[in-house]
Amino acid sequence: MKVALELIGRYLLLMKMVFSRPEKAKIFWKQFFVDAERLVLDSIPIVAVISLFIGGVIVIQTAYNIENPFIPKMYVGYMTRESLVLEFCSTMIALILAGKVGSNISSEIGSMRITEQIDAMEMMGINSANYLILPKLVATTLLNPLLMLMSFMLGLIGGGIIVIFTGVVTFSDYTTGLQFAFRGYYIFYSMIKMALFSFIITSVSAFYGYYASGGSLGVGKSSTKAIVVSSVSILIANLVVTQLMLN
Amino acid sequence: MIRTVNLCKKFGDTQVLKNVSISFEPGNCSLIIGASGSGKTVLLKSIVGLYEPDEGEVWFGDTIYNRLDFNDKREIRKEIGMLFQGGALFDFATVEENVMFPMNFFTHWSSEEKLERVNFCLNRVNLINVNHLYPSEISGGMQKRVGIARAIALNPKYLFCDEPNSGLDPTTAILIDQLIYEITKEYNITTIVNTHDMNSVMEIGDQVGFIHKGELVWEGDKNNILSSDNEKLNDFVFASKMAKRMKELMTEKDM
Repeated sequence: MKVALELIGRYLLLMKMVFSRPEKAKIFWKQFFVDAERLVLDSIPIVAVISLFIGGVIVIQTAYNIENPFIPKMYVGYMTRESLVLEFCSTMIALILAGKVGSNISSEIGSMRITEQIDAMEMMGINSANYLILPKLVATTLLNPLLMLMSFMLGLIGGGIIVIFTGVVTFSDYTTGLQFAFRGYYIFYSMIKMALFSFIITSVSAFYGYYASGGSLGVGKSSTKAIVVSSVSILIANLVVTQLMLN
Repeated sequence: MIRTVNLCKKFGDTQVLKNVSISFEPGNCSLIIGASGSGKTVLLKSIVGLYEPDEGEVWFGDTIYNRLDFNDKREIRKEIGMLFQGGALFDFATVEENVMFPMNFFTHWSSEEKLERVNFCLNRVNLINVNHLYPSEISGGMQKRVGIARAIALNPKYLFCDEPNSGLDPTTAILIDQLIYEITKEYNITTIVNTHDMNSVMEIGDQVGFIHKGELVWEGDKNNILSSDNEKLNDFVFASKMAKRMKELMTEKDM
């Protein structure tokens, strides 16, 4: 319990340093675009591939589970859309990003810590936490919800491709289902979740990297911890946000 | 001037620094020497604020540095240049960008002015045509020199060097020592160097403090270190057989 409280305290102190005013706006924005490219744009291929395939798989699974002739076939499209928007495109993609982006951030910052690069910044009078972490946090929190939207669209397209090639339902039924009882609020809910999860992934991974110690072995350990803690935090946050926003 | 007063630092149950009080004068190359694990690096990092001392004071001029808050400390840190043991160059940046890094944050110079200053600093440490290379593409000695160039980029009042010639061959090590010494005299900087290399002591030791198991047990300079009768210091200085023989010969000569 004491260890957990100590960790939370250190995390909050780090966040206090992160959310101070950047020394120069120009440097912040330059770093923001570098991080946006590395952490968000570079994640597009993996997110795209996974979304296309999962969209297809959801269509097949739903179609085989709706064999009752009294249930209209258009529900395959409806179920695919709801599964994607409510859970897959935010939570599942966030868990994947926790592995990809989280390990990237914690190992990068951790390596800088053990090679004294962070100390060097501190000795120049630079707020290293602000310089290294804030652009990453802003980039992922603002832009990953767009990644979620892209994942949603590609998931639907993936489902559509499967419908065309396998004929589990007609394309017309599928598109009717996609439009059936559509609630724009779910998109908003999913984007909010993705923004929150991105904040968790980036801040937790940066935290473990920033306080890494014990050489390269320590960097490896902090990367693993970052992924585990981010993933568990995402699942807990998912539960809380869902209860708050959908109830 | 920098001075410490009864500085103490503990890690767990291990007392690493015990009431260390020492002063460092401007324009002097002050060396902290001692065996590995004696507390030299902890002392240096406690002075610059990378470690928080448990007790005691660190004075920079008229200011008690270790009692300042984060933002006030940062103001003093802008006057500090530091050379780390491993160079600590930013591996995401080229040599030029490394030296320019502090300028980007704390000056309003134009790109041309910054580039001019970068080239001046790199020339000062005898580095040419390396501007666009990354730290991984240059040798250890060159990395140390880039580290010095970065440390002096903003004309610091204080220069800290943590084992500047560790891992270097004797010739390069002497070159680095001489460079630190020249820069100290040229700009009247308060320089503190952490080392266990006796060659450095004899080359640049205007002032020398010997740390043994966290205690400052001897203070002097390069001229009286070999003639000291401090037993612990002699065990450190004359550790090798060759050095012991040299000491015997010196004693015989005196007699």
